[in-house]
Amino acid sequence: MTAADLLSLLQGTVVTVALSISGIAIGVPAGLALALLLWRRMPLLRHVIPLYVSVIRATPLVTLGLLIYFALPAMGLQIGPVTAAVVTLAINTTAFNCEIWRAGLIDFPRDQLESAQAFGMSWPHIVWRIMLPQVVRTCLPALVNEMTLLLKGSPAIAVIGIVDVTRAAVRIGANTYEPLPPFLVATAIYAGIVFVFVRMQRWLEAFSLRDEVGT
Amino acid sequence: MNVESANRSPAPALRIIGLTKSFADNVVLDGVSLTVKKGKTVCILGPSGSGKSTLLRCVNWLEQPDQGAIFLGATRVGFRNNGSAITMSARELARVRARIGMVFQHFNLWPHLTVLENLMEAPVHVLRKPPMEALKLAEQLLDRVGLIEKRDAFPGRLSGGQKQRVGIARALAMEPEVLLFDEPTSALDPETVGEVIAVMKDLSAEGRTMLVVTHEMQFARETADEIVFLDRGRVVETASPQSFFTEPRTERARQFLQRYSVR
Amino acid sequence: MIREFSIVFQNADRLLAGLANTVLLAAFGLLLSLVLGGLLSVLLMSESKSAAFPARALVDAMRCIPFLLLAYLVYYALPSIGLNFDNWTSGLLAIVIYNAGYMAEILRGVWMQLPRETIDAATAFGFHGRKLFMRIILPQVVLTAIPMIGNQAIQVIKDTAFLMIIAVPELTHAASSIQSKYYVPFAAFICAVALYWAMCGVIEFAVHRVEKIADARR
Repeated sequence: MTAADLLSLLQGTVVTVALSISGIAIGVPAGLALALLLWRRMPLLRHVIPLYVSVIRATPLVTLGLLIYFALPAMGLQIGPVTAAVVTLAINTTAFNCEIWRAGLIDFPRDQLESAQAFGMSWPHIVWRIMLPQVVRTCLPALVNEMTLLLKGSPAIAVIGIVDVTRAAVRIGANTYEPLPPFLVATAIYAGIVFVFVRMQRWLEAFSLRDEVGT
Repeated sequence: MNVESANRSPAPALRIIGLTKSFADNVVLDGVSLTVKKGKTVCILGPSGSGKSTLLRCVNWLEQPDQGAIFLGATRVGFRNNGSAITMSARELARVRARIGMVFQHFNLWPHLTVLENLMEAPVHVLRKPPMEALKLAEQLLDRVGLIEKRDAFPGRLSGGQKQRVGIARALAMEPEVLLFDEPTSALDPETVGEVIAVMKDLSAEGRTMLVVTHEMQFARETADEIVFLDRGRVVETASPQSFFTEPRTERARQFLQRYSVR
Repeated sequence: MIREFSIVFQNADRLLAGLANTVLLAAFGLLLSLVLGGLLSVLLMSESKSAAFPARALVDAMRCIPFLLLAYLVYYALPSIGLNFDNWTSGLLAIVIYNAGYMAEILRGVWMQLPRETIDAATAFGFHGRKLFMRIILPQVVLTAIPMIGNQAIQVIKDTAFLMIIAVPELTHAASSIQSKYYVPFAAFICAVALYWAMCGVIEFAVHRVEKIADARR
């Protein structure tokens, strides 16, 4: 494997990380938004959202990616591969995150909400200052787990022409007839990113606990 | 058969000699010895932490004693050839265990099997009894403890007292030489204690060989043939129930009885 | 729109052939990975380091690596050490190896949570070794693990779609070829999505039934 090969693997890594983070950056808040809407039992959405979640959770990333990349232009919406990739990842991870947030919200003790209401707090205040900080802490492990799952699913975007680290490794292997070295490097890269995610989760947990001890 | 061997009393059903067991630095049993003759009921009494449960669990080798010997009839439990230094293989140990019936404080029924299946499981798969035979005996025993209509229920649906009666029937289904009872009523509501005690009294009257660890003083006083009082891992007193409850010989026993005065 | 769907329905046989492949790969993959996972979990729980270590290494590796990368490894890299598999077999192998790790973790977790008492009682009654495992431990483990295995099954079905990239003729591949031939992307992929949704529905229903059986025995 030459330096040029390593460089293309690095470029692929940048693509993988950038696209995954974009998907996560959209998916985590969007999932929360949907979960809150479900929690408040909004009239039409309380039926539509579970349907969306159920279908997307059953759909492979590859199929979803192909659907978005090929079907949207056919319906008039011109969309490039990068946008399609981010949209695919975001739609997918939003559905899973919605389930995670929903479980966290359901588990949240009702009595805390009642006491906050008894003190005259408004709903936005309660959600933002009382409920969310605690729910975030409960959901954190599952959210990070979903992030690593999204990362591991990200090679799906290769079908819409994007060269992520997996595709780069395949290309190098095809050119050099020595597929093993680039694959092993790619494996190490994925393992490294997962490791970073898990470390970040531990750090976040310690950070939020520090807040509590402070009071 | 000559006259001497006819007159010689048979080996006791269970003999425990000099049993010693420690957990880390804690000495739980310190040279405990007792004998259970065939057809007799021996009750082990003592304050909590005296090592009673550990003693029972050593008999069928659920805990391995550090020192001492346990004899089931003529068989040395845990060691091959009745006393060599070689420990028994898993299969040999299993065969010995199958001769000892055990009733647990928390019933320990198998939740994925019905009541009837709980009774048949070990006889069929450990003793290799023909299923039809095991079924007949199981139904008889269930009828005997008054739970025949629960034969197809799952243990999760039964009350504590019912579970324990099933536990007793399950142990009986193995037709064991000795029955061990590890605080059989301690986990039960006061109302259901009675139904289990009734079954145990019945078994004792029938001539079963029983070793019972219990806090039920009334039962011990009325049903036991011998009381063994254990305190801090040592046998402090061995006596008949009459003399133990009315005139305990040792100070420790006296203190104990004062705390648990018989209703 | 109607025209698009009618074209897809005319080619339904192709789609269904793809579906059949997906189901076959998923079913065999799941079964074999369950067996392998069971073996791995026994190794994981063993006291001998030399048995536990390779099992642990495999399980942890499968959690770090994307499934597609493993499929590529099996399909493209193994030939360089003499093991040549066609794409279907490579796909199946990748599914089995990948999910064996997850199955092992599931089974091990459930096994560790099994109440001590039920095993104690079995030991006291003379159960040991294989019989103890097959009659007492395994049934309880399976009943508890079914929902988690069900989730894993859904994951397996979705992973099969990756295999279209190495030209395995499963459902997404079939939809994609219909799409590229007749220019009916929306209809083709919507039908594929509907079929994936249906498959998951079947699994969730089956898990629900087993949970009811397990609940009675809790």
